[in-house]
Amino acid sequence: MEEKTTNKTEEKKSNKFKIKDIVFLAIITACTLVTGAVMPLLVNVPLFGIIQLGLGLQFSLFPVIGMMKVRKPGALIFMAVFISLFLVFMFPPMVMIILCAVVAEGVVLLFFRGYKSDWACVTAGTLYMPLTIPLLYLYYNAFYTVNGEEKQAVSMFIGSSNVGMAVGISFAVIALCFVGSVIGMLISRELRKAGVLKK
Amino acid sequence: MSFFRIKKNVYPLFAIVASIAIIVYALVMAKRASCSYFLIGAYFWIMIFGCFRSCLRMLPIYIIVGGLFSALFYLATGVASSALTMANRFGGIFLAVAIGMSVESVTMTRNLSQLRCPRSVTLGMLIATSFTTVLRTEINRVRESMKTRGAGSILNPKIFYRAFLIPFVTRLVKISDTLALSVETRGFALGKVEYTVYKKENIAFSDILFLVGIIVGGTLAVVL
Repeated sequence: MEEKTTNKTEEKKSNKFKIKDIVFLAIITACTLVTGAVMPLLVNVPLFGIIQLGLGLQFSLFPVIGMMKVRKPGALIFMAVFISLFLVFMFPPMVMIILCAVVAEGVVLLFFRGYKSDWACVTAGTLYMPLTIPLLYLYYNAFYTVNGEEKQAVSMFIGSSNVGMAVGISFAVIALCFVGSVIGMLISRELRKAGVLKK
Repeated sequence: MSFFRIKKNVYPLFAIVASIAIIVYALVMAKRASCSYFLIGAYFWIMIFGCFRSCLRMLPIYIIVGGLFSALFYLATGVASSALTMANRFGGIFLAVAIGMSVESVTMTRNLSQLRCPRSVTLGMLIATSFTTVLRTEINRVRESMKTRGAGSILNPKIFYRAFLIPFVTRLVKISDTLALSVETRGFALGKVEYTVYKKENIAFSDILFLVGIIVGGTLAVVL
């Protein structure tokens, strides 16, 4: 019994974020942000999923590197919180990315029980950006209903004019994020082999 | 009396609210001509309240990008109103970005610390905001080293992965280790530790005037 309780307390201690974890996650977020600076241009293009297509690769690659270094529950949420401050100024609805991070982490914790496995990081990285698609769909649906007049633009934004295209783009986003996550995992594995990325 | 002083920068949280308000107004009223008037008014209003430089910096980018997208939409639809819609939408977003650019990361961190935001969040935000210049330098260094070694074109995916991405991430890891040590030696601690904010961010009359001006302007543009 005592061993079990000491193990639990040790696990809790190891799951606590240290300063070096926060610093690394913040730096990785800065990388994501710099490479994702095209967002203000993409938000006005009336094509379903264009934001996710434009940002999918960098929003999966860098977070996976972050999670592979900081293998603690909450790492993805931290990155989402850091980046959301900038997204407010670029496109406020994208702040919902925090919610996506919570869901992605929930899924990973449910199926993998943490970030010990590399594939757990890949799963979280793959789910992170595509999860914004339904949220943005709801946003455009609600927001442009207020506006009312631009039915054509609304249908282009939310993909209701061509369901097949909307489904295709959604799959393309997932595939892109998966590729980005796998690249992130490969980079992290190489760095770990070289002794740069210590757990 | 400090409440009535003229401040150099807008109160950070008010800046966030103002940028959200501008984007919302611009998106909702994008099709109307009154939206353009509102955005022009907001541009000068923001300039007065300490965002002069960022507004000037944003203007040429807006003219190029906004003009390009408006022209594209005009050519695609053949309707002038769709070009106006696009110009208004981009105008709203670029104005919001201009406000965001004028908020210094240090003032935002101070503001959030004052409001007892978790230390881990404020530290992360501070680093993420102020790290972009360091990143640029690092990217240039890695590219220089690529040139020195004759690694080949960065556009080749294999070379990009092997000669750019891996050294770049390695540098990031090393920088983060050094930065973390530096933060710790300066006495920064996470968790429930007492701390003081050296320079406090307080709301001034000019901040309220700034926010009220934008909200009133937007509401008038909707109503009239």
